[in-house]
Amino acid sequence: MSDRIPVTVLTGYLGSGKTTLLNRILSEQHGKRIAVIENEFGEVGVDHELVIGAQEEIFETANGCICCTVRGDLIRVLGQLRKRRERFDYILIETTGLADPGPVAQSFFVDEDLKEDFELDAIVTLVDAAHVLRQLTDSATAADQVAFADVLVLNKTDLVDAATLALIEQALRAINGTARLVRTERARLPLDQVLDVGAFDLDRALAVNSAFLEQPRPFEWAGVYTLPAGHVTLHTGAHDHAHEHEHEHEHEHEHEHEHDPHDKHDHDHEPDHGADHGHGTLAAVSLLVQPAARADAQALESSLEAATSTFADTARPAANGTHLVPGTLYQLQLGHSAHFELVLPNAGPWIIYSEHHPGEFGLHVHGEAPHLERAFGSHHHDAEIGSIGIADPRALDPNKLNDWLSYLLQSRGADILRMKGVLSFRGEARRYVFHGVHMIFEGKLERPWGEQPRVNRLVFIGRRLDRHELEAGFESCIA
Amino acid sequence: MSPPRTRLVKRARLELGDYPVDAAWAADGRALVLASGEGEILWWAPATAPAPERLGQHNGGALALAWQGAGQHFASSGQDGQVWLWDARDRSRQVLRRSSQWSEQLGFASHGRLLAVASGKELAIYDASGALQTTLPAHPGVIAAIAWRHKSSELVAAFNGGVRWYRIEPAPQARDYPWSGACLTASWSPDGRVLASGLQDGTVHFWYLAADENSQMKGYGAKVALTSWSANSRYLATAAEALIVVWDFSGRGPEGTRPIQLGAHTARITQLSFQPGGTHLASGGRDCRLMLWQPAQGSEAIDADLLPDEIALIRWSPEGRSLLVADRSGALTLYGLERTG
Repeated sequence: MSDRIPVTVLTGYLGSGKTTLLNRILSEQHGKRIAVIENEFGEVGVDHELVIGAQEEIFETANGCICCTVRGDLIRVLGQLRKRRERFDYILIETTGLADPGPVAQSFFVDEDLKEDFELDAIVTLVDAAHVLRQLTDSATAADQVAFADVLVLNKTDLVDAATLALIEQALRAINGTARLVRTERARLPLDQVLDVGAFDLDRALAVNSAFLEQPRPFEWAGVYTLPAGHVTLHTGAHDHAHEHEHEHEHEHEHEHEHDPHDKHDHDHEPDHGADHGHGTLAAVSLLVQPAARADAQALESSLEAATSTFADTARPAANGTHLVPGTLYQLQLGHSAHFELVLPNAGPWIIYSEHHPGEFGLHVHGEAPHLERAFGSHHHDAEIGSIGIADPRALDPNKLNDWLSYLLQSRGADILRMKGVLSFRGEARRYVFHGVHMIFEGKLERPWGEQPRVNRLVFIGRRLDRHELEAGFESCIA
Repeated sequence: MSPPRTRLVKRARLELGDYPVDAAWAADGRALVLASGEGEILWWAPATAPAPERLGQHNGGALALAWQGAGQHFASSGQDGQVWLWDARDRSRQVLRRSSQWSEQLGFASHGRLLAVASGKELAIYDASGALQTTLPAHPGVIAAIAWRHKSSELVAAFNGGVRWYRIEPAPQARDYPWSGACLTASWSPDGRVLASGLQDGTVHFWYLAADENSQMKGYGAKVALTSWSANSRYLATAAEALIVVWDFSGRGPEGTRPIQLGAHTARITQLSFQPGGTHLASGGRDCRLMLWQPAQGSEAIDADLLPDEIALIRWSPEGRSLLVADRSGALTLYGLERTG
């Protein structure tokens, strides 16, 4: 139905800048007539005639089914707005900072009135760069808001340094591998990033970032350096000359991440990433140095398997001042400003693999910056919540798929926050696209594959997701 | 000779040109008050004055209307947060209430002496002169429906978490009937024995207040947003999606019995209303169909009409002889019931 009214849901933890963004949208000339549904504690100027206050009200069912949980206030208010259809052409819903985005999104899938009259365009989650890392650690709601997002607006980026930003993006990507990530200050961003995003247009949603489909790695970061023979000092900790090198990070490169729920690493630290420089309180970190064939991305890529198997070795403890040699996995003991002497047999390209992102423990190579670096899936931050992607070219049997998804949603629906996919069915020229919120699932056949390679892409965002279980389930659907 | 049949006959039409939010018949069944999406309050007497008279406007849109039983007053509410009490004789009005909250539920007791206004979680009771009688303590949830028990000063408010019963006169009394579900409707059987509520979770709940018993009816595929009793209190019509389910309260029913199912609509039902004083049931839906039923006689519709747009309102006149039907585009049709054969 093309005459459904588009809706953008604006979420974000307390202080993330939702109201600032809302006020900007309302004052800007964009040619849209926007009705705003605001939570009751909002601060939008009352002079805008289409601002309606709503008291957040969660409707649950007697049997506690999480997928039937909807927002009664939104159903009621939107039901009234529908009667004045000619007065506006867009709806913005601002939720409270503590609102669970699940019932908000679900209302548009579950409730008959909303399903027919409104179309959820996107869930936009604002993130306060200065506080998000702590919020993600402290609050399941903050993590849920990130997990549900189609667009993540990383706001107040002027309040943190580049290394912290990289760390934040990595943390956000680990939770939500598909959302579009936009950086901004003071909620200033083009409105087409927020309105008419078409995020529930699955083509676009899945095109944004499929990198998290990658296999998990035991290291979060690898950097390629050209280093001289002999001694090279590795510095750690927040010391004075950190910014000589640290801030050369290239942030335009694509961060590729995976979240591995089977992560067995023992992180005996309390992630404490405040608004400072992201130097946490790691006690120890595993690190490996390997020679590279060349100082380029391809050489890095082809080295990953060998590095991964070396990371399975028992790491050798290395105290402050220890000499490190290539090919040995070390566990660096991080005191305040600990340093280590890397002893290299020859000059040339070397790759450093680190269990944690260098920004977390202030790692830098004395006098050198990496030619190229790459981040991998995060292993810390709420290991509970993350994204898992599957990409596979084999055609599927729709009946088997239906059986699997039915089973999966019934058994794991509460943990699966969002799910999206484009699928290739045997004997079907068209692409099957689907998406879901918790146990609610919508799918349909769309345009033909045409010249595009027929590749199934599925994305799950949720808690305690098990890659092996999901992959085995997917395997059972092959036609 | 074919048996006598009842047919819908068109008697009058009006183009409102705007979404018909609500309509209320005057006590004498000769005129109607109409409320539009843009907030206009109109007076329409189809037989004597085919062009409606504009009475006023709620800024930002209208929400609800209620007529005062056999009296001459009616109330209107709007998205301006106001509730107005009108005198139909001179078309004068007074402002009963100004609030930042919408007052989405208005209802006069059948004796006409009391008016209930629900705004968010709050319920206020006014007398017929517009004086505030009492403001009741806040409810656990936003009030989704209110219903006065026939010929009494008792009413219930339904919300997420159950219903609350009140006796307003002489002194307010209250009692909670908690239920873990979001109640969307409240309908008293005309004999005052059963209170029925449709719920968001696709169930219907009955409370037998005198016996202090209650029961839950499951099996709906979607939320039950419509409930209506037959005049003789025997049948409760309910609707979810495109299906009408009628429960028969005769004998030992309806618990343990199979309900009557009326399944001719092809899209979601938006309006469902039993005829006052009669046995007909009218329904309308997003399939643009108006249907007339007699559930006691069978599960086939006895007449139907196709409207230009989906049906937004169905309002029986107080004596049950006329039916106002409005579609979403604002086309109003007044039907009469005619017996043939």
